[in-house]
Amino acid sequence: MLTFFVLVPLLVLLLLNISWRALPRIVPQAAVLVLGFADVVFGLALPSLPVNSEIPVLSELHFGLVADDLTRVFLVSIGLVICAAAFVNQESMTTERSHRNFCSLLLVSLIGMNGAVLLSDFFSLYVFLEVTAIASFILIAIERGIFAVEGAFRYLLLSAVAAMFMLTGVGLLVFTIGDTTFSAVHESLNVATGTPLLLKMAVGIFIVGLFIKGGLVPFHGWLPGAYSSAPPGVSILLAGIVTKVSGIYALVRIAQDVLVSDPSLSMILLVAGSASIVVGAIAAIGQSDLKRMLAYSSISQVGYIVLALGAGTELGIVAATFHLFNHAIFKSLLFVDSASVESRIGTTDMGKMGGIGAKMPWTGTTTGIAMLSAAGIPPFSGFWSKLLIVLALWKAGREGFAVLAVVASVLTLGYFMVMQHRAFFGKPSAQLDSVKEASAGYVVPAVVFALITVLTGVFFPLLKDSPLSFLLLNKGLSW
Amino acid sequence: MTPTLHILLAICLAPALALVLLLIPSRARLLREALAVIAATANLGLVATTFGQQSRIELPWLGTGFDLSLRVYHTASFVTTAAAGFGLLVTLYSLPFMRKHRAHGAHYALMLLSLGMANGAVFSNNLLLLLFFWEGLLGTTYGMIAIGHAGAFKTATKALIISGVTDLCLMLGIALVWAQAHTLTMTSLRLPLEGTAPAAFVLLMIGAISKGGSMPFHSWIPDAAVDAPTPFMAFLPASIEKLLGIYLLSRLALDLFELTPQSWLSTLMMVVGSVTILLAVLMALIQKDYKRLLSFHAVSQVGYMILGIGTAVPIGIVGGLFHMINHAMYKSCLFLTGGAVERQAGSTDLASLGGLGRKMPITFACFVVAAASISGVPPFNGFFSKELVYDGALERGTIFYLVAVAGSFLTAASFLKLGHAAFLGPRDKMHDGVREAPGAMLFPMLVIAGFCIFFGVNNAFPIDQLIVPMLPEHLIAEARSAGTHFSGWPSNPTLVAMTAAALLGALINHGFGVKLNGSGLHAADHIHDSPGLRWVYDRAERRWFDPYELFMRGSAYFAQAANKIDRANDWLVVGLGRLAQFASRGVRAAHTGNTSAYIVWSLIAATFIVIYLGQ
Repeated sequence: MLTFFVLVPLLVLLLLNISWRALPRIVPQAAVLVLGFADVVFGLALPSLPVNSEIPVLSELHFGLVADDLTRVFLVSIGLVICAAAFVNQESMTTERSHRNFCSLLLVSLIGMNGAVLLSDFFSLYVFLEVTAIASFILIAIERGIFAVEGAFRYLLLSAVAAMFMLTGVGLLVFTIGDTTFSAVHESLNVATGTPLLLKMAVGIFIVGLFIKGGLVPFHGWLPGAYSSAPPGVSILLAGIVTKVSGIYALVRIAQDVLVSDPSLSMILLVAGSASIVVGAIAAIGQSDLKRMLAYSSISQVGYIVLALGAGTELGIVAATFHLFNHAIFKSLLFVDSASVESRIGTTDMGKMGGIGAKMPWTGTTTGIAMLSAAGIPPFSGFWSKLLIVLALWKAGREGFAVLAVVASVLTLGYFMVMQHRAFFGKPSAQLDSVKEASAGYVVPAVVFALITVLTGVFFPLLKDSPLSFLLLNKGLSW
Repeated sequence: MTPTLHILLAICLAPALALVLLLIPSRARLLREALAVIAATANLGLVATTFGQQSRIELPWLGTGFDLSLRVYHTASFVTTAAAGFGLLVTLYSLPFMRKHRAHGAHYALMLLSLGMANGAVFSNNLLLLLFFWEGLLGTTYGMIAIGHAGAFKTATKALIISGVTDLCLMLGIALVWAQAHTLTMTSLRLPLEGTAPAAFVLLMIGAISKGGSMPFHSWIPDAAVDAPTPFMAFLPASIEKLLGIYLLSRLALDLFELTPQSWLSTLMMVVGSVTILLAVLMALIQKDYKRLLSFHAVSQVGYMILGIGTAVPIGIVGGLFHMINHAMYKSCLFLTGGAVERQAGSTDLASLGGLGRKMPITFACFVVAAASISGVPPFNGFFSKELVYDGALERGTIFYLVAVAGSFLTAASFLKLGHAAFLGPRDKMHDGVREAPGAMLFPMLVIAGFCIFFGVNNAFPIDQLIVPMLPEHLIAEARSAGTHFSGWPSNPTLVAMTAAALLGALINHGFGVKLNGSGLHAADHIHDSPGLRWVYDRAERRWFDPYELFMRGSAYFAQAANKIDRANDWLVVGLGRLAQFASRGVRAAHTGNTSAYIVWSLIAATFIVIYLGQ
C-alpha cells in the first residue's frame, strides 16, 4: 500500500505528459495540489506503529518500505510545502510552458521525496535523493536566467561530489556487512565488541554526502546561490523541504536507527551543526537581498537540527524532528512572503522595500510571525522546538553546545530584526505608493502557515496527548 | 439603626458624598459648599453618637477566613469625634478661604474622603484593614497638597515618598506581627516584647510617629505649609494626622504590646520624642514665615506626645494623650489665624507683616489664646498636658525633663517673636486697608479657642471623661493605687515653678532680643547667631539634615551611575552589532561564488572527518 505514495504520482506524471496540449492549465496544477494534499492527509492518517511493505518483484534487492512516525512528519511537511509551492508558482510563472514543466517537475520531486522517506535502506535512499536532486537542478534553472543557471550548475557539481561520498559509503557498507538496510546496519553497530572501524567510516562518509545535500557549513557553497536565484515557487520547495529530505531525513534515520550514541559520530554532528548555526547567522546579518538572507538563515536553522541530533538522545531526535517540521513551516512562509513582495515590486533587495509592511499588511504580519517563531520567541512553535533542543543538549551533557544554541538564537533574532527593520517596518517610501497587498495565491498559503505556527505553538502543551503527537514521534518524554 | 449599619455609614457616607460632590459642576459652587458642610456635619453626628457604645462587627471577606473587623469603643469614638469636629470646622473655614481656588471641588472631596478614611482607620480592629485606610489617607494627603499651586506637586511627591516609605515599614511590622501571633485582630493581640516583637514594634512605631509628623519623617510638613492651601495644614498635619498617629502609637504602647517602663523601646520612644521637641523648635525659632514657623511647631509638639506615651507610666501617657487633643486644637487654631492673615493681608511673610492686631482684633485674640496654650501658659489647656508629660518624664529621667522644659522655653520665645512680628509693632502702609476676616473663618477659630480655655480651666472633664478611659484597666488601677490624680492643678509645685521660670525667661529673652536686634521679627537672631548653633542652622537651612533631601541627593548619584551602566550596556550592544557586521563582512568576502573553492572546502572538511573517524 505504501508503494502508492510513489506509484500514483508516477502514473499522474505519465498521464499529464501524454497529451498535455489538450489539457487546460488548471489540470496539472490541480493534480499537484491533490497529490500534495494526499500526502498531508495520509501522513496524518497513517497508524503510528511502523507499517512495512515490500515491492514484491524487487524483494530480493531489499526494496522494503517502512512508515513510522518520522515518515509521517516528513509526509505532512512534504505535502504542505508542495502545495505552497504550487500555489505560488501558479501566480509567479509567466509562461504556459514553464508552468506545465514546473508542475511535472514538482511531481518528480514529490516522487523522489516520498520514496526517500519511505524506503528503508541506504542505497534506495540514495537513488530517490538523486531523483529529487535532478528535478531540483532543472527547477532552479527553469526560467533560464543566467544566475539561476549558475546556481543550478553549482548545485549539480556539489551534488555530484555528494553522490560520490554517498556511493562510497554504500559501497563500504556492502563490503563490510553485505547489506544496506537501516536495520542491518543498526544490528551490526550493536555488536558488543564495539563498532568496526570500516563500518563507522562507511556511515561517516555517507554523512558527509548528506552534509553537502543539506547545506551544512562548510559544505554549503551551493546553497545561497541556488536558493536566491531560483524562481519563487522553487525557493519555497528547496528551502522548505528538499534540502531537509535530502540531507536531514537520512541523518535522523542514522541517529535513530544507527548511531546509538557513537561519540565520534555525534561529535561530527555537533561541530557541523554549531558551525552552520554561527556562520549562517553571521552571514545572514550582512545580506541586503531578502532571499539570500533567508538562504543563510536556512543554513543556520539546519544547524540547529543537526546539533540536536548530535545530542544522540531520544529527546534530541524528537527536538530535531519537531524543529524540522517548524522550520519547514516558517521558512516556507518566509519564502512565500518574499515571493509576494517580489511579485509587487519586482525585486528582493531589502533597500527598496522600506516600510512595505504598511502596504502589504498580511505579508508583513505573517513575516513577523515567522520571524518570531524562527527566533524562538514564545508562544510560537519555534520556541518549543528550540527549547527542546537546548534541553536535549543540556541533558546529554553537552552544556557548552546548549549555551551556544541559546546565544546564537540572539543572532537569529538579530538578523531577523535587521530584515524587519529594513524591509517591513517604518514609513513606506514614495515609490511604494501604488503597491497593494499580494494576490490570494500568495496570501492564502502565508496565512495557513502562519496559523499552523501560532496554533502549534499555543497548543504545544496539549500536543503530547493529541492525534498530532506523531510530531513528537509519539514519545511520552518527560522534560 | 443597627451598630453595623451605623459604623459602615460613618466610614462610607463622607467618601460617597465626596464622589457626588465631584459630579457637581464648578458653576454650582454653592451647591458644592452646601453638600460639603452637610456631609461634614452628618459625619460628626454619626461618629459622635457612637460615644458610650461598645460593639464589634465582623464582616467576613470572600470566605478567606480574613474578617474585616471593626470595633466601636471609647477611644475610637473619642478620636473620630475629634477628627470629625475639626473636619466640620475646617470645612466652614474653607468656605470663604477656598472660594476662588481652582481646585475648589477637589479640596472638599478630598477632605470628605480623608474623614471617611480616618474613621475607617480608627474603627478598624484589624491591622491590615487599618493599613488600608492609612494608605488611603496617604493618597488624600498627596491630592490636597498637589492642588495648592502649579509647583506644589513636588512637595506632594515628597510627602508621598516619605509617608510611603514609613507606611512600608508599617506593612513590614504588620507582617512580623502576623508571623509571631498568627492573627491581626487588634483585640486579640498582646505580644510580649521578645523575639521579633521589638522589631515589629519599632516598624509599627515608625508608621505611627511618621503619620504624627515626628522627626525624622517631618520634612515635608514645613514645605507643605508653604505650598498647600492653609485649610489643609489645619486639617491634616495639625489635627487629623496627629490624632491618628498618636492613636496608633498609644494602641501599640498600651494594648498591642506589653510595653513596660523598663523596656529599651520605652527609652527609644522618649529619645525620639525629646530630640523631636528640641530640634524642631530650634528650627521653628528662626523661621521668617508665619505658616512655616507653625509647621515646625507641629513637628515639635508631637515630640511631647511621643515622650509622654514613651514614658510608659500612667501620668506620662495621660499627658501625652491629653496633649494630642490639646495640640490638635491650638495648632489648627493657629493655622486658621495664619490663613486669615494670609487671606486678609495677602502674605504670610513676617518681614512684610506687622501691626495687624488692631485691624484683626478677633484673629489676634484667638492667636493669643492658642499661642499661650502651645507655650504652656496657665490656665490654658497646653499647660496642663505639658505638666503631666513633665511629671512622667521626670519619673524616667531628669535629662528628658530638662529637654522638655527647654523646648517649652524655645516655644514660648518663638511665639513671642511670631505674635510680635505679625500683630504688633509698626504697620506697613500697604496693610492700612486690611480688615477682619469673614465670619465663616472667625467662627471656627473662636470655637477652638473657646475649647482651649475650656479644656484648660475645666481640665477635669477632658482628662477624667475622655482621656483616662482610653487607658487599659491595669494602668488605671495602678494609678489609683498610687493615689495619682491627673486632673486639677498640677500636684508638684516645683515643676510649676520651673515652667513659670522658663516662660519668664522666654519673655526676658524676647525683650533682650528686641532691644539687641531692633524688631520683633529679629528677636531670636541672637540665638540664631550664637556660636555653634549658627553652624548647625546654616546647614539645616541648606537642608543638610533633611533625610528626604539626602535620599534624593543619593538617588541622583544612583541615577548617574545607572545612566553610566546604561551607556556601557548600550556601547556593548552597539559594539556587538558592529562586531557582527564586521564578522559578516568577513564571511561574505569568503563566499566569492567560486565553485571550485566551494568544492575544495567540502573535500577538506570531508578529509578531516575521515581522519577523525579513523583514529
